[in-house]
Amino acid sequence: MQAGLSTQNAPSPSVVLPHFVFGALMFLASGIVMMIAAPQLILPYHLNAHMLTLTHTMVLGFISMLIFGSLYQLIPVVMEVKLRSERMAKITFYLFGTGLLILVIAFWEANFGPQQNWRWFEISGTLILVAVFLFAINTLISAAKTKRKDIGNLFIITAIVYLTLTVSLAVLMIINFAVPFIPVSILDLLKMHINLGLVGWFLFLVIGVASKLMPMFLIIHKLPEHLLKYAYYLLNAGLIMIVSAFYFYPKTWLIALSVLLIFAGIGLFLYFNYYAFKHRFRKNLDVGMKLSKVAFLILAFALILSIFALTTPEFTASFQYRIDIALIMSLIFGFLTALILGQTYKTLPFIIWLQKYQAKVGKEKTPLPQELYSDRVAQWHANTYLIAFPLLIAGELLGMAWLIQVAAVFFIITGLLYNFNVFKIVLHKEKIIKS
Amino acid sequence: MSKISALTPKEQEIAQLLKTVVDPEVGVNIVDLGLIYEITMDNETKTIHVVMTLSTRGCPLGDVIIQNVQVVLDANYPDYKNDVELVWEPMWSPEMITEDGKNAIDSL
Repeated sequence: MQAGLSTQNAPSPSVVLPHFVFGALMFLASGIVMMIAAPQLILPYHLNAHMLTLTHTMVLGFISMLIFGSLYQLIPVVMEVKLRSERMAKITFYLFGTGLLILVIAFWEANFGPQQNWRWFEISGTLILVAVFLFAINTLISAAKTKRKDIGNLFIITAIVYLTLTVSLAVLMIINFAVPFIPVSILDLLKMHINLGLVGWFLFLVIGVASKLMPMFLIIHKLPEHLLKYAYYLLNAGLIMIVSAFYFYPKTWLIALSVLLIFAGIGLFLYFNYYAFKHRFRKNLDVGMKLSKVAFLILAFALILSIFALTTPEFTASFQYRIDIALIMSLIFGFLTALILGQTYKTLPFIIWLQKYQAKVGKEKTPLPQELYSDRVAQWHANTYLIAFPLLIAGELLGMAWLIQVAAVFFIITGLLYNFNVFKIVLHKEKIIKS
Repeated sequence: MSKISALTPKEQEIAQLLKTVVDPEVGVNIVDLGLIYEITMDNETKTIHVVMTLSTRGCPLGDVIIQNVQVVLDANYPDYKNDVELVWEPMWSPEMITEDGKNAIDSL
């Protein structure tokens, strides 16, 4: 095999595809949960059972599930290594999926009062924890064999480490609820969990993957990768500092300093993306890259929201908690969702295309990967998503449940159309074009 | 060894054939994308030697593209042994895309 060739390293589609199907269904389920739970989603509680149901259906069921599937494909391909164990990946999928379903039902039923039964949280937390550790062992052992040491790989590896910390902390929180033993308030533990998850797991992963895929998808050369190196140090320093601050020394100045470091890291990443989009050779963006561009714009918007969330200016004091919720929603339903929706079209069709047509390439006329889904349907759900997201944020900021319900209707439509395309790709029947 | 810019008429025929090989992600043929560096047709040893690159290392479709090149050469020159060599130096850059390639990308 010639150096740099990697498709042979890709795992069997049976490892990757269930993640996409499960994730797509969970995205649709999130829209339905949002519709039903809307009146509770504007309430000023941090331990809001319905809010936690919605956020975990999204971050674990949709976003993390799709990321797991994508990484099983991406790590072997871009790092030029074989996946350590396909069997372990399949076991991980079932443990993670089962744990997630139990967890979101447990959240939905929870009241977090003195009578709260923690058994289902403990069971689901254990399943998810075991799944995450198996995922981490599988991917990190695979990644350790790579000869390609670059900043993108480092971001991906670090993200996986932060994922294990995020979920480990979540399980400790569950145990701490039942038998208190951690000398830190629930609110501070929750902030540590959110920071580790959103910055440590998701943001690190997105930066790592973006640095790999951006040059291919936009046709661009010589990206300013040194900016990502600075971002890596800034984000690590900021994240470790803020998590430590919440645990050991929760002083405003230390938290503010940590946030500044994280902001600086995100700023460098946003500039990296701005540079890539500005200098790209491929001017016409397909729906996948259009949604990705939207994702980065939403990240910039979330950065502005977070300034209000952190500085708590006087004019926002009366609805401060709404800004906090809008910020988290912007990251989950905005930045990450837009990115995943878009990148689905840059990964899933290629996986199926390789499975169906790799042996026929050159011998017969085959469709292109982008012909495996309906571009029109993809454009429609990009549009319905662009209606849904601002409505959700407006609903949260204004505290209007009906607005959130209207947003939910558009999220459900987006979910249905997205599922249509995901199933169309996954169920694609081999088709040879007659010349 | 014939650089892509200085091919013999026979080698130019091969280049034309390789224009049927399309990068599935970009939707443009690999010759106009500038991925083919050299084509050498040796009638004495009955060998066709193609030196090419990919737009990025770890390109998810890299070996499909190379396989496509080999299939096209096998089908059209059954009496020749083909040798497709993948290189990373010089590193590919968008400046290597031909005018036709640029126009094709713009029209996508």
